[in-house]
Amino acid sequence: MKKGSKIFIITEAVLAVLVCLVAITMLWERRGRNLDQLSVIVADSDDTQWSAFKYGLRMAAEDNGVELFFVSTGEELTVEEQQRLIQTEIDNGADSVIVQPLPGAEEMLLKLERKLPVMLIGYAPEEDGVSDLPAVAPDNYGMGTALAEELLEDNGGNLEGKKLGILLESTASQAVLDRKQGFQDTVKKAGASVIWSVETGASGEWPADMTAQPEADCVAALDDASLTAAGAYSSSNDLQGARVYGIGHSTEAAYYLDTGAVECLIVPDEFNVGYQSLTEAASQLRELFYRMRDRTVSYTAIRQEELFTKENQEILFTMSQ
Amino acid sequence: MGRDKKLSCLERLRPSGIQSTIIAAFTVISVSIMLILGIVLYIRFSTISREAMVQSTGMLMEQTGETLEDYLVSMRQISDAAYYNVIKENDLSARDQEIQTKMNLLYEANRDNLQSIAIYNDYGSLMAAEPVAAQKEAPGVVEQDWYKQAMEEMENMHFSTPHIQNLFDDGTHRYYWVISLSRAVELTDNGVSQLGVLLVDMDYSAISRMMNQINTADNGQYYYLCDSKGEIIYHPQQIQISDGIISEDSEAVAKYKDGVYDLTFQGEQRKVIVNTISYTGWKLVGVLPYDALSAGTINIRYFIILIILLMAMMLALINRVVALRISSPILKLNDSVKEYEAGETPEIYIGGSSEIRHLGLSIQNSYEQIDTLMKKIVLEQNERRKSEFEALQSQINPHFLYNALESITWMVEGERNDEAVFMISQLAKLFRISLSKGRTVISIRDELQHAQSYMNIQMIRYKNTFSVVFDIDPAVYSYCIVKLVLQPLLENAINYGVEGMDDSGEIRVTGREENGTVLLSVSDNGFGMSEEQGSLVLTGRSRSHKHGSGVGLVNVNNRIQILFGKEYGLQIKSEPDEGTTVSIRVPAIPYTEENRKLLEQGRIWGREGTQDTGTQEKQG
Repeated sequence: MKKGSKIFIITEAVLAVLVCLVAITMLWERRGRNLDQLSVIVADSDDTQWSAFKYGLRMAAEDNGVELFFVSTGEELTVEEQQRLIQTEIDNGADSVIVQPLPGAEEMLLKLERKLPVMLIGYAPEEDGVSDLPAVAPDNYGMGTALAEELLEDNGGNLEGKKLGILLESTASQAVLDRKQGFQDTVKKAGASVIWSVETGASGEWPADMTAQPEADCVAALDDASLTAAGAYSSSNDLQGARVYGIGHSTEAAYYLDTGAVECLIVPDEFNVGYQSLTEAASQLRELFYRMRDRTVSYTAIRQEELFTKENQEILFTMSQ
Repeated sequence: MGRDKKLSCLERLRPSGIQSTIIAAFTVISVSIMLILGIVLYIRFSTISREAMVQSTGMLMEQTGETLEDYLVSMRQISDAAYYNVIKENDLSARDQEIQTKMNLLYEANRDNLQSIAIYNDYGSLMAAEPVAAQKEAPGVVEQDWYKQAMEEMENMHFSTPHIQNLFDDGTHRYYWVISLSRAVELTDNGVSQLGVLLVDMDYSAISRMMNQINTADNGQYYYLCDSKGEIIYHPQQIQISDGIISEDSEAVAKYKDGVYDLTFQGEQRKVIVNTISYTGWKLVGVLPYDALSAGTINIRYFIILIILLMAMMLALINRVVALRISSPILKLNDSVKEYEAGETPEIYIGGSSEIRHLGLSIQNSYEQIDTLMKKIVLEQNERRKSEFEALQSQINPHFLYNALESITWMVEGERNDEAVFMISQLAKLFRISLSKGRTVISIRDELQHAQSYMNIQMIRYKNTFSVVFDIDPAVYSYCIVKLVLQPLLENAINYGVEGMDDSGEIRVTGREENGTVLLSVSDNGFGMSEEQGSLVLTGRSRSHKHGSGVGLVNVNNRIQILFGKEYGLQIKSEPDEGTTVSIRVPAIPYTEENRKLLEQGRIWGREGTQDTGTQEKQG
């Protein structure tokens, strides 16, 4: 074959290949790429305490262009059930999952992490003090400490002889235990004594009558459910005049602060828990060499009179979504 | 060096063939046209697309602005209705039921967009509200912005930025995000007129719904609403902004008048469309990042690239067909000419366009003419040479034979038998060399032998009335020479030189080599010639032959020059009464069979080797 013919055939072939590539790219662009799917599994998913978290997730999903599935769960979520739900999500095409770790779920989550990226929220299970999974959470111990400091502030920095009660969920996760630890460490140093600690029973319900508990000067509610329960007790004067301090992130919690049933509210930035956890997970899916990292979100101490400041209104806004 | 290399690379790239030149030229032209066309089309299409995008965004914003305005107008109408139809006409204490009913009617008619309607007196006490709900304990109404604004500027209605409604406790443990429309009103309570504030709390979700409806693009384009100070009322990423995750230049944009602006914010270029909502001073802002504008033109870009590639494929095909069609006849003609030059005798290609056919015909005719002429020239040359040789040799032989035989006759008649025998033997030698097996080129040794024999015969004939001396350098014996060139010289020396000199005549034959040239000379001490006569000898117009063979020096000169070239031949030097010397100059060509054949075939011995005599003569 002559040199000219060879060059002609090669040129035509190269141009034909380019035409095919451009045509395929055009079709690809028209069809649009498949969005990454992210599933979120938390206990009692319909509870208002997740409003800000869900809003954060939704905003991050829009910003990162991923498809978000918020799995509906009941109040009581077991490890087995959580595992089954995660598997269902994976079967339905989830590329990554965001999970609220349950006590005893560490091994299951570590196994799961080998299949797909897993991001934890609330706290990271630790083994020998080291966490193998990334987590977005507030500083739980710090929040417990901050709650105690608010109590100290109201008592002139001295809790000598003060009797305290603690409310927390019986299925309390490590997060709540850390808060308790932070709270107890601080109040004990200040001379107060924890005279009772009430957890929800096996049914997840709070005791109907709190007047049976010894009279306490202050009650600390260390999670949102406990705080709403404490708020309700306080409103109906079941706590025998004890002032309530608590950690919460629902409108109910804010409502009890607004009505004066709760003295001080520590609010973790749940919006950012949702936003950052999803952003981290989406980044790992989008970028080949990106690995999710632990993120710690902030928290805010709110008093009744500060509830409607501009900054706190935004916290209420995220809770109200 | 580098530049030379580049130049040589460019030289190498330069197309050498006509076909490649045509293809290269067509390719350059077509690629340039396609690129220019593609770029112009792309710029035009993308400009149109961007303008259309900006225009549609502007129209969408206008519609949304109108909807927002309608919404806000309806809120103002509610406020007006509450004020003029309810508050102004009734005493709040005396006719509270009637007021409540009317407010309830107003609320129910607009409950989709309303959160609440409330009337406060100048102390901030709630006078009436709809829907009926428990007021919170000490909500601090007079400290709230909407109340303060209404009291500060009583003549106006005031729209607040979105905020949590902090007035009522409806028992749902919920907080409502509202925009407050407040105005100072004149109340009548228990017959006493006093100032108050009418508050219409609009449900923020009505506005966010409107804005969400237009914030559906996933290409980075978005719309937000801010007040005249740039405070965000609605933004699709409101919390991200307040958390500092992203930022928005709403404060700067709030100062712009309605229109389209090209702005750069945080290194990102974007088009910003501003639309002011009347009465409130709110700004509806559409943000079109340049990336979003380009995203709309990506398909156009691909489409134009596709068109260009398809055009390139077509043009490559057309280029090749056209180039082949133009160049093919020329290449065929060129090939046939090349074959002709290589010595073959092909048919010259005649085809293609009329010009090329004409060219082919011309070349064919030229070649035919050249062939004919060449054959004719060669034939003529051969004929000429042959006839010259034949003529010269025929001139020599009869003269000499006549003279020799005459001498032998005299000897026999005079009974000088020994001399006759010697004469005959010399004649035999002479003829042997003369014939030389038909060769025209012999060695100088043979030519000298021939001359010796000739002179021996002549000496007998002239009874030794002159003497002959042969002074030959033996080195010249082995060179080539044309046969029978010395004999005419000797004959002339005898006849015009020494004859009649009474025993004092002398003929001297010398031979030597000088700078690659052999010089054979025949000198006599005879009567000599004048310079004028000498110059005529070699032109053939000299004195008439009184003796001899009749073969003149002209013939000898011609024969030498035919074989060896014009630079060789005879030279004559003569002085009256002193004698004449005739010299033969020939190249020193060693006498070998090969050289002899070459010379006899008519090849001239030159510096660069042998040349065709015909060509040489033609050039001469």
